[in-house]
Amino acid sequence: MKPLLMLLLLPLSLFAHLNIVVSYPYIGAITKAIGKDHVDTIVLAQGNWDPHFIVPRPSLISKLRSADALIMNGGQLEIGWLPPLIKRANNPKTIPSAPTFLDLSRHISFLQKPKSLDRAQGDVHPDGNPHFHLNPNNILILAQTIATFLSSIDSEHQAIYATNLKQFEQDWRAHLTQWQKNMASKKGMKVIQFHDNLAYFNQAYGLENIGTLEPLPGIPPSSRHTMEIIERIKRQKPYCIFHDVYHSTKTAQYISDKTGIPVILMPHDIGALESIDSLVALFDYLTTVQAK
Amino acid sequence: MNKILLLSTLTSAALFAVAPVVKPAQERTFSQSQFMPDMSAIVDFSYVNHSISDADLQHLSIPGVTEGFYGSHDHGGNSESTYNANNGFNLNYVELVLSSNVDPYFSVDAVFHFSPEGVEVEEGYFTTTALENGFRIRGGKLLSEFGRINQQHHHFWDFGNAPLVNEAFFGTQGINELGMQLQWVAPTPMYLMLGAEALQGTNEAMFGNAQISDPNSPDPEDPTILGEEITAPSLFVGYVKSSFDVGSTTILPGLSLAQGSSRLDHFEDAEHANAFAGDSSVYGADLTVKHFFNSYSFLSWQSEWIMRNMDGTGYHNDAGTLQGSPLEKEQAGYYAQLVYAYDQNWRFGVRYDSIYLNDLTLDGISQTVVDPEAANPVSTSEDFDRYSVMSEYHLSEFSRIRLEYNHNTALYSEDGDRQNLDTVMLQFNLSIGAHAAHDF
Repeated sequence: MKPLLMLLLLPLSLFAHLNIVVSYPYIGAITKAIGKDHVDTIVLAQGNWDPHFIVPRPSLISKLRSADALIMNGGQLEIGWLPPLIKRANNPKTIPSAPTFLDLSRHISFLQKPKSLDRAQGDVHPDGNPHFHLNPNNILILAQTIATFLSSIDSEHQAIYATNLKQFEQDWRAHLTQWQKNMASKKGMKVIQFHDNLAYFNQAYGLENIGTLEPLPGIPPSSRHTMEIIERIKRQKPYCIFHDVYHSTKTAQYISDKTGIPVILMPHDIGALESIDSLVALFDYLTTVQAK
Repeated sequence: MNKILLLSTLTSAALFAVAPVVKPAQERTFSQSQFMPDMSAIVDFSYVNHSISDADLQHLSIPGVTEGFYGSHDHGGNSESTYNANNGFNLNYVELVLSSNVDPYFSVDAVFHFSPEGVEVEEGYFTTTALENGFRIRGGKLLSEFGRINQQHHHFWDFGNAPLVNEAFFGTQGINELGMQLQWVAPTPMYLMLGAEALQGTNEAMFGNAQISDPNSPDPEDPTILGEEITAPSLFVGYVKSSFDVGSTTILPGLSLAQGSSRLDHFEDAEHANAFAGDSSVYGADLTVKHFFNSYSFLSWQSEWIMRNMDGTGYHNDAGTLQGSPLEKEQAGYYAQLVYAYDQNWRFGVRYDSIYLNDLTLDGISQTVVDPEAANPVSTSEDFDRYSVMSEYHLSEFSRIRLEYNHNTALYSEDGDRQNLDTVMLQFNLSIGAHAAHDF
């Protein structure tokens, strides 16, 4: 029995670096950029799926079981799938009260915090809109938060994390300037969306969202609401329909045919489209796809 | 006394005059409302049409397997009916769920099951949150994780009633017992979980440890006890579950074993005064395969095979004479269901249930019929089957309407005549409040 147990535990002791489990791919990318060789990042969610509806498959439990730390988006984006995984992983390092647990949403100021909560208003997030990583300026805050977090759980490599953060910030700022340039011509223009998951992107580049194809958050499009949207588009003249990659574009396409404004597929995370393989690629895409 | 009252009224009046608005919770120094547990209520309501009247349904059984399948068969005044049992409207339950962390070491979950028959603590258990190395201990009243469907709540099921084999072997509530549970998740890349449970063992359908008294004992104060005395806990459950993904398909197999004492006392039954004292073993194998087409659409296969062996003494009380003879039951059944979720709104499903093995050995002799004294004795090689189809519409994550049809050929009258039961159900399931997300 003993040699068998040793054999099982051996692979764990070989890797002295930290096993950081993260909920979404974008968090994995930032964590890897700060942690580099000192961390292993394990991403739970697939980037091409609806981040609200990740399937809590049991294979994810074993990933959490061996984690040294867990970083999540928060703002209740993971409420439908992460809690049951945490409960089954039996790992005190990944429970929300642990110092090795990081909820990124605590470090961001939210948009659209509802004044009152009622499910008759659809699937509202009590803290506000949780898709904050799509404002690229927020990525800097998240990187700083993650660097502080890594330093707190692995103080030995504090200096390295600080250096990596500095490097990351420098590169990111250069990109920010470029993305700002890409989007300059769109400032003040109106858009319409399927679900308001680009609220922070719109905030960053001064776009105005005039409505969603979903009548209420999380409630699929209805024909009556679609007719209203068409009327609204004709009146307010947004320049396009922003659409996520995981819902059917059928309704959007119909509206596009009726109104003549294009549907633009907006990936929300790394892996949402095959070509999006990094955070930089994500924002490169998001800020250039409109010009096409 | 009056003075104090007056004074306090005046003080509070003065206070309110200064601060006319109630401060928000976080500013009220001693308010603890922020510690309110997550609270939710689930309502399950249905309209049911059975092809057999309620009165006749109560007399139907699955011969040799279970008596009074449609529940309200009187067991010492404790009548427990199954879901969707009555023609017309059924309030299956209002379930109140409370859950919260206790401290850094424990969480507590409590489920209160309100139904027209009364209130029951369906679950009430603590779970450890701070154990290392993949261990978790749970204690209290809980649903055993034997097999797949047993630990799932009714509102998570894909059909309005339990699989035939589960309900026939374990009763309406399944294995829902007082006890302790230990689970361990292995530190392997593939999900592997081992669990063991020590349970009180009072399941009324097949286990039990209460002494059975000879109903004919001359001195009722000091009756003769049938079978050896048993000390609780008397039911032990073990299981291993594993899971892996192949692309967008998740495969989840499991093996389970339950071993316990059986003390089934039906001497109070008017029609069939009988009892059983012995030991029971249950073997279970389950397989779930779920393929995801995208975030909302999937095809899922779920199946369980369960076999039980009950070995002991069967007692009959005929006109004041007690007859006990060695009785062994070996019975097995399974269900298989296929559910297709077209999108976030629509789901369709089919299920096939069968109890295909019903070996009865009395006095060492294998029986060809279940009850030789019945007008039309039922053969022990008879299969008991049920077919179900359903379609579901989810208006949101919190409300669901299900239309289901069952064709049940497993039920027999006391004379031994098969009574095909056709059922149409329209079921409404709604949940409010903060309800925790479900497992896979």
